[in-house]
Formats: sequence, C-alpha cells, structure tokens
Amino acid sequence: METENRSFSPDQMMETLQLAAQIIMESGGETFRAEETVCRMGAGFGLQQVESFAVPSGLFISYRTADGRLETSVRRVHPGRTDLTKVNQVNGISRQAAAGRLSAEEALQQLKALDMLRKTPAGFGALGAAAVCAAGFCFLFRGNWPEALLAAAIAALVQGIRLFSERMHGHGIISNILGGLLTAFLPALAAGWIPELMTEAVVAGALMPLVPGVAMANAVQDSLRGDMFSGLSHGAQALLTACLIAGGALLSPPLLRLLKGGGL
Amino acid sequence: MISFSDVLRYLLGSFFGTIGFAWLTRVPKRAWLPSGIIAAVVYMIYWLLPQAGVSESMAVFLGSLFGSLAGHVCARRIHMINTVFLMSAIVPVVPGLGLYRMMAYLGQGQTALGADQGVRAMIIIAMTALGLVMGGFAERLIHRDGGSH
Repeated sequence: METENRSFSPDQMMETLQLAAQIIMESGGETFRAEETVCRMGAGFGLQQVESFAVPSGLFISYRTADGRLETSVRRVHPGRTDLTKVNQVNGISRQAAAGRLSAEEALQQLKALDMLRKTPAGFGALGAAAVCAAGFCFLFRGNWPEALLAAAIAALVQGIRLFSERMHGHGIISNILGGLLTAFLPALAAGWIPELMTEAVVAGALMPLVPGVAMANAVQDSLRGDMFSGLSHGAQALLTACLIAGGALLSPPLLRLLKGGGL
Repeated sequence: MISFSDVLRYLLGSFFGTIGFAWLTRVPKRAWLPSGIIAAVVYMIYWLLPQAGVSESMAVFLGSLFGSLAGHVCARRIHMINTVFLMSAIVPVVPGLGLYRMMAYLGQGQTALGADQGVRAMIIIAMTALGLVMGGFAERLIHRDGGSH
C-alpha cells in the first residue's frame, strides 16, 4: 500500500487529507474528529510528523514527505448542511486508510464522490422529517392529534422556507428569525378559530426541529476533549441560533395585536 | 399518578420525535432505532424519577448520563460515530416547553415569570451537558484507546 501511495504527489495527498476534514466539519462533525481523521489517515498513508489544527472556521495541516520536505496547507471551512451520514462515511474511509486497507488514491476518489453528493440540494424528505419530529414532540408536550397535525404542518412549512433560503444562498440568521416567528405566530392565529387548541404544545413541538442539537452535542464533545476554543465556539453557535429563534417568536405577540387592530 | 396512557404518550412521543430529528440531521438509517430507544429511556428517567421524589435537575442529569453511556456503547457496537447517539440523548430533554413559556411571558411583559422559566430551562440544559460530560469521562476511563467512534 505504501508503494502505491508513493506514486501520489504531495499535493494530491494534501488534497485527500483536506477534503476528509472539510467534509466532516462542513457536515456538522466535531473539530477534534477532523483533526484525528487527518492524523490517522496521514499515518496510514506513510506520512511523517502529521499535524492538524482545526477551528470551526478553518483547517491547518502539515506533514513531512518521504524526501524530508515539510508540506503545509490552510483551508477555510464554511458551515454547511448537517449530514451525519457523511461524517460517519468519512470516519469509515479514514479508519480503512489508517488500517492500510485503502490507498490515498482510492480514498480521494471516495471522498470526491461523497463531496459531490453533499453538494446536491436537500430534497422534500427534510419536510417530512421536520413534520415527524414536531408531531412526536407535540405529543410529548401533552398535545393531541389536532395539535400534532398543526405542529407538523408548521414545522414542514418552516423547513420549506429554510430549504428555499438555502437554495437562494440566503443567510441562516433570517431563516431562523422567520422560523421562530412563524412557529409562534401561526398557532396563535389558529387559536382564534379553534379556542380549545393547546397553543403551547403546538409551538413547543414545532420549535423542536429548529433546536441546534448537533451544535450542542459538538460543544460538549469538543470541550470534553480539552478543545475549549472549538467547544465554546460551538456552544456560542447553539446559543445564537436559540436566541434568533426566540427573538423571532417574541415578534409574534405584537404582530398579532397589530392584526387585531391594536398597537405594536 | 402514573397512568398507562401517559407512559405510552411519553414513550412514543420521545421515540418518534427523536427519529424525526435523526432523519432531519441525516443520521444513518440503521442508527434510527437505537437512537429512538435511547431517547425514550432518557425521557422515562427524566419523567419517572421526579414522581419518586428525585429533583427535576437530578433526573435530567441521570437521564443524560444514561443516554451518554448507552450512546457510547451503541457507537462501539454498531461502529458508528457517537455524535448520532449523544444527540438522541439530548433532544428529548431539551426544555422546549420551558423556553416557549419564557418567551411567552417575556412577550407579555411578565419579566419575573419569564426569568423564572428561563432559569429553570438553563438548569436543565446545564445538567444535560453535565450528564453527557460525565458519561464521556466514564467511557474514556473504560476504553483508553482514544477511539473516536
């Protein structure tokens, strides 16, 4: 395997390591996982002194080639759509490479195929997922069938807006505020026609798909590994998302008052 | 008073809600069932212990500690990254209703009630994180190979 890897140029080797780490980080993986993946794969490819330093917005890799030259690279990482299947698949590729069962060339091919899949837009499955999530949690918050159905419809609508915003390259801040606003506003509006509707259960259920669960898990995982910078960064991201959604929801009562002819 | 219908409601609600969340974050399909089961057990711990006199914050801690340990075990058994299972341990105990009430009170200008709900929600979030961290430490003590499943 090492002989096969020697025919691979240092640039291609670097591209393989960069792509593996970039897919992990842009798909919602932890920074420690990106760093570990680079080091394991590099060692598996027979590279010496492999070092990796990742922060949520960037990636630095260096290693020494067989002829003693030091190769270093920096890559900017942009937040992407959460896709834990991709993170898991890259993890699998890195484990095979580390065990010597996959050459650098084969790894690069597989990673490029994964990257192409990752860039395809999300389908309507996300709407169904948001609906199932909202309906399930609505029952948990003591809602019944009418509340669960309404929560599912609102969550699917909000998810549709997020997907549309993503396709239009819109900013996540706007879709989070709008998501929070619609999630609080629509049930309050529906309660005007259906007085027995449990608004609380609908809103809380429909809010659940917006919860930054992956960022919260990453904050804990990175902090646990001693990477306080990435841990705090992921924690701040989760907090900011929650604040934006809450801010959007807080706009709902004045908007409702305005609709009913009152003041803001 | 624990009724069968409540147990069923909370089991199915947390199970399907978490599976929906797993689908949304594109968790591999073979992890959906264990994720849903972990979430349902975590929620049962969180709901049942206070009925036996345990404080809500301790129930959240014990629930997420169980979720963290079970998540690490599943990750090793199924050969999958542990994030997918840890997320399942967090999601059902996220204080969604508490946060909504906080926002609703603040929106109505009832700051004291809003702050009370907010503090309770923050305690739940902190105890969830603590449970996950303690579970992670325990797992690292047991398996010292540093694997990142």
